[in-house]
Amino acid sequence: MLSIKNLQASVGDKAILKGINLEVKAGEVHAIMGPNGSGKSTLSNVLAGRENTTVTGGSVTYQGKDLLALAVEERAREGVFLAFQYPVEIPGVGNVYLLKAALNAQRKHRGLPELDAMDFLALVKDKMKLMEMNESMLYRAVNEGFSGGEKKRNEILQMVVLEPSLAILDETDSGLDIDALKVVSHGVNSLRSPERAMILVTHYQRLLDYIKPDFVHVLSDGRIQRSGGPELALELEREGYAWVGDAKNAGVVAP
Amino acid sequence: MNPFLAQCRASFEAQATQEGTVEGSQRQAEWTRFEALGWPTTRLEDWKYTALSGLEKLSLHHSIEPREAVKGAPRALLEGIPAPRLVFVDGMFQPDQSMIEGLPKGVHLRFWSELDARERERFTQKMAPARALTAFGALNGALFTEGIWITVDAGCALETPLHLVKVSLTGQRMSHGALLLESEENSELTLREHCLGSTDQPAHSNWVTAIELAPQARLTLVKVQQEGLLSYHTAALHGLQRAGSQLQVFAFALSGALGRNDITLRLIEPHAECVLKGMYRVADRALQDFHTTIEHDSPHCTSDECFKGVLEGSGKAVFNGRVRVALDAQKTSSRQSNHNLLLSDKAEVNTKPQLEIFADDVKCSHGTTVGQLDEEQWFYLRTRGIAADLARTLLIQAFTLEIAEAIPHVDVRAEVRRLLGGTVEENGHV
Repeated sequence: MLSIKNLQASVGDKAILKGINLEVKAGEVHAIMGPNGSGKSTLSNVLAGRENTTVTGGSVTYQGKDLLALAVEERAREGVFLAFQYPVEIPGVGNVYLLKAALNAQRKHRGLPELDAMDFLALVKDKMKLMEMNESMLYRAVNEGFSGGEKKRNEILQMVVLEPSLAILDETDSGLDIDALKVVSHGVNSLRSPERAMILVTHYQRLLDYIKPDFVHVLSDGRIQRSGGPELALELEREGYAWVGDAKNAGVVAP
Repeated sequence: MNPFLAQCRASFEAQATQEGTVEGSQRQAEWTRFEALGWPTTRLEDWKYTALSGLEKLSLHHSIEPREAVKGAPRALLEGIPAPRLVFVDGMFQPDQSMIEGLPKGVHLRFWSELDARERERFTQKMAPARALTAFGALNGALFTEGIWITVDAGCALETPLHLVKVSLTGQRMSHGALLLESEENSELTLREHCLGSTDQPAHSNWVTAIELAPQARLTLVKVQQEGLLSYHTAALHGLQRAGSQLQVFAFALSGALGRNDITLRLIEPHAECVLKGMYRVADRALQDFHTTIEHDSPHCTSDECFKGVLEGSGKAVFNGRVRVALDAQKTSSRQSNHNLLLSDKAEVNTKPQLEIFADDVKCSHGTTVGQLDEEQWFYLRTRGIAADLARTLLIQAFTLEIAEAIPHVDVRAEVRRLLGGTVEENGHV
């Protein structure tokens, strides 16, 4: 599904990613952990196509295509979804409008007929139940005035509506209380399937109590320093990130 | 004398000759005032960024008939504008296109062409503050052919909006109209003003509006300029508010070669409230200019002003927002803001808040921003599969929509939202 080879990227003139290698197969859930400043968010940004990040070397192949050659919106329509660490407020653009436009852009791209208003609403209301969201949130502007938890639920709502092939969740657990974390995790878990892959980018092990990864990678100084199974996350929880050479970010357990 | 002025002079002389002495002398007085003020040039502070060189060169015809039926009436343009409506084409009232049968008893319409001498004098007096705002106001007084006088009786609340439609149809024409709107105590009216054009030739529309609100009267005026690309639009609006009255003015300048709106609202008795919100959108070579003044002459009044601009290509805009709080206008609450979205390196906006506060116990704020589209919002929409162009359009619409959202009348709000291409729906439709 996704093959990252020797990926290097910089923000401004600062090299952040210094040679990432990662293979993600359909059906797998990979957790990428690491201290602050290790390059986790830059990796999500490169995959989603954020323009302030410059790829300086290496390649990313997604379903046989050169992902880096695709425009941001083309990646989305090909089934790549980024759940933002800080979901953006867009006053004046309706949440329901964005959901419908996003879903239909994807359907059109795949040669499917656009959903009409009735079918669309039925679908979305169903997914909102899953996310334990109030329907009134549909008719508000995108994320405007949403609490931190509501924004994260809204991200996952978009994800369960769009049913991506590759979901990248950037620090989705940050700012969530335990109840919201359960709801969000439930939404994410509902999407797990043999055709779908996920990358969880997270500082803390907490999220992995609710979404069990198949593989855990530790990112530090722009490289994957270690890879392993779920047990690696527990090891990090016990020992912190100090061993990867970053004493100031040694804490792993959520405060 | 430039070609434009030469035509104005010809029209003035033709009308002055045709009329009896009273109006003749009024026209003469206004013409003399116009000449004394002089043709506005960029050497004048009020016209510093608004060059009228394009208008000067035009030789526009002025029809001095108050209600000549225009051939090829613009049915397509009028479609969808419901009754009650008043239609003016090239400055001439069109009874056949208008629909005024449904007006309630408490709303009275009179036309200048039907007024007797005494009424005309009164009308002229009441129009004077609006005509005094600019040289074009004086020109209006010298040249206007038809005026409309709307009175809303005390306690009369008209739920259905009244539509005033001004169409530039023929091209190479100028039109000078006058509107006087008097709302008596505790009355309520929404007036929706449509400025339309179906000609791709130059045209000039120069209307003057005077509003007087009696105590507790409520009036909403929603004006949208959607004229042709070569059209010139000058307009003056003067509002006079008595105790506890509420005036809400919404002005949207969406097209045209050049638009200049002078708006002055005076709060002359306590507890009067005004809302003045507007939006301008300019593309290549176009200019929109809003010169607004809010005068707090009395204590305990509030004003809420916000203008937003979207500038593309080599488009230009001017916003000059003056707020004056008189010495005894204590407990004034006044807000003003002007936000601009510059979408090209060539676009230009000149924005100037001008606060003159003489009272000492007041709450006044103002703020101005000039910026570009939010990259983070743009990126977010694209990560959801929205095409780059559409994402940009959505964000521009979202920026301007805030102005439309404040319109109190639900149908008018929905209509203006559609004109701006809004996507936030209230009632659950997708």
